[in-house]
Amino acid sequence: MSIEVSGLTKRFGDFVALDDVNVSLPTGQLTALLGPSGGGKSTLLRIIAGLDTADAGTVTIEGTDATRLPPQKRNVGFVFQHYAVFKHMTVAKNVAFGLEIRKRPKAETARRVEELLELVHLSQFSHRLPAQLSGGQRQRMALARALAVEPTVLLLDEPFGALDAKVRKELRDWLRRLHDEVHVTTVFVTHDQEEALEVADEIVVINEGRVEQVGTPDQLYDEPANDFVMGFLGEVTTLEGQVLRPHDIEVATHPVPGGVQGRVERVLRIGFEVRVVVAVADRPDVTVVLTRTHSRSMHLEAGAAVWLTPAEGAISVASGRQREAASA
Amino acid sequence: MASPTATRTTTAVPVPVKWTLRLVAVGYVFFLVAWPLALLVQQTFDGGLTNLLDALGDEQVISALRLTGIVAGLAVVINLVFGVTISLLLVRYEFPGKRVLSALIDLPLSVSPVVVGLALVLAYNGRNGLVGPELEAAGFQVIFNSPGMVMATCFVALPLVIREVVPVLVEVGDDQEQAARSLGASGPQTFWRITLPSIKWGVVYGVVLSLARSVGEFGAVKIVSGNYTGRTQTATLVVEQKYQNFQQGEAYATSFLLILVSIACLVVVALVRPQSHS
Repeated sequence: MSIEVSGLTKRFGDFVALDDVNVSLPTGQLTALLGPSGGGKSTLLRIIAGLDTADAGTVTIEGTDATRLPPQKRNVGFVFQHYAVFKHMTVAKNVAFGLEIRKRPKAETARRVEELLELVHLSQFSHRLPAQLSGGQRQRMALARALAVEPTVLLLDEPFGALDAKVRKELRDWLRRLHDEVHVTTVFVTHDQEEALEVADEIVVINEGRVEQVGTPDQLYDEPANDFVMGFLGEVTTLEGQVLRPHDIEVATHPVPGGVQGRVERVLRIGFEVRVVVAVADRPDVTVVLTRTHSRSMHLEAGAAVWLTPAEGAISVASGRQREAASA
Repeated sequence: MASPTATRTTTAVPVPVKWTLRLVAVGYVFFLVAWPLALLVQQTFDGGLTNLLDALGDEQVISALRLTGIVAGLAVVINLVFGVTISLLLVRYEFPGKRVLSALIDLPLSVSPVVVGLALVLAYNGRNGLVGPELEAAGFQVIFNSPGMVMATCFVALPLVIREVVPVLVEVGDDQEQAARSLGASGPQTFWRITLPSIKWGVVYGVVLSLARSVGEFGAVKIVSGNYTGRTQTATLVVEQKYQNFQQGEAYATSFLLILVSIACLVVVALVRPQSHS
């Protein structure tokens, strides 16, 4: 295991940011810390990097107890949400910074900077100042800068959070490919479940300072530990006390065994899918997602009587705490 | 950022109001600053270069100018070091008493320099000061000597560096410093390579302002120095003495030299300012 975190607790005044967190992050993998804003995931990352200190607990990086080490002794690369570029230095100087601090020979530094700029496709910008780069380019430069010192682990704090949707998508694919090339143990924080599911080998779901679940994207999606994880990874609805995906509910226009009777409240068409809101007795409304073709063949419209059943093989968890938080 | 707002404001204001406002502003500055200073320059060159040459040939004036240079220079260097340190402390660290410190730093702006001088004399004089007799016994005379004058000058100019550097430090944020630390830089390395380059224009501006203030200081220095001719007399004190001794020509000439220093400071500021925004 590359990073071992045990018993980590951090308070900011009365607010508990991390509550006895234990987690192991494997070597060479791309791990996502996923959770809602204010859930403690950035705090965890910053404590691993040594930029914040924990009130209790330990952090071990590659077998070395790093709990009391200052950030410059941990050999971690850190990428910030707002890039944290050195504004007064050229792109090449930014990337060279860590190597110059380590007093590497000039020729070696120059060669390494060239390699890294090649890797992040910024070679032609090496003499520019960061102010002359776009957001995506700045973040790629920050990544090259962090990789220059050959860190044991690479930590990224919402690395694409400040970028627009299109660039974000590009950089996300690019990060995945980069990781396949460099193989450095990488941990990134995100609140975007799509980003985590698409890029990460493993996802740690963090909420209210606690780890909710650790697993591969498939595990998390197919075997959610609780309704929070299920709700955070995708849209959910509640049918008869069971939380399940809206597309995992079957609709019939005639009574079926075990079917829950309801009345169609609204029908909303969004592209190829149709969302049907069904009112059922004594329970909150149920949302069902159908394909447009399916819905048309059943002539679903407001006021129609329907019977709802969970689809065969549907994943569901008992509804419990934090349903509101999950849907937020 | 400000320019679109400014254009909108100017188009919205009626023409007569605009001209009245301009006239008031220009008139105010003219009668208060420009005209009196122009008269002073005119008086200096009334008899050609005689006044200036007289002043520059006067040992008293020369030694006073030299002393002003030394005192102001030392005060600026000391304020630069302490000013940047205190600014970093105020912006980057949390500690008990931070608000009190921040309020104390503004005190020199509100207290009259004469009061500052009296307070320093009280604390450091060689006869019954708090630590003065001990210092004097050790051969270090503070009051009626240059150390006291440097202290008084430091005191009055203290806020200028800090009030310039603090907003810049706040604006720059600590992201870059954290990035430097994570890349292996130690505290001092981070300061010299990252923090100082990003606040340098604020520092330069603060230094120029405190230099101008230090050169022009009169009240505090007069009390602390004892005003001994040729020994503890600075340029501003010479101006007063010459004027009272009916040597107006030399007083004007020395004042003119002081104005030149101020103008040089303003030119430096003007040159520095646009660069800080690019």
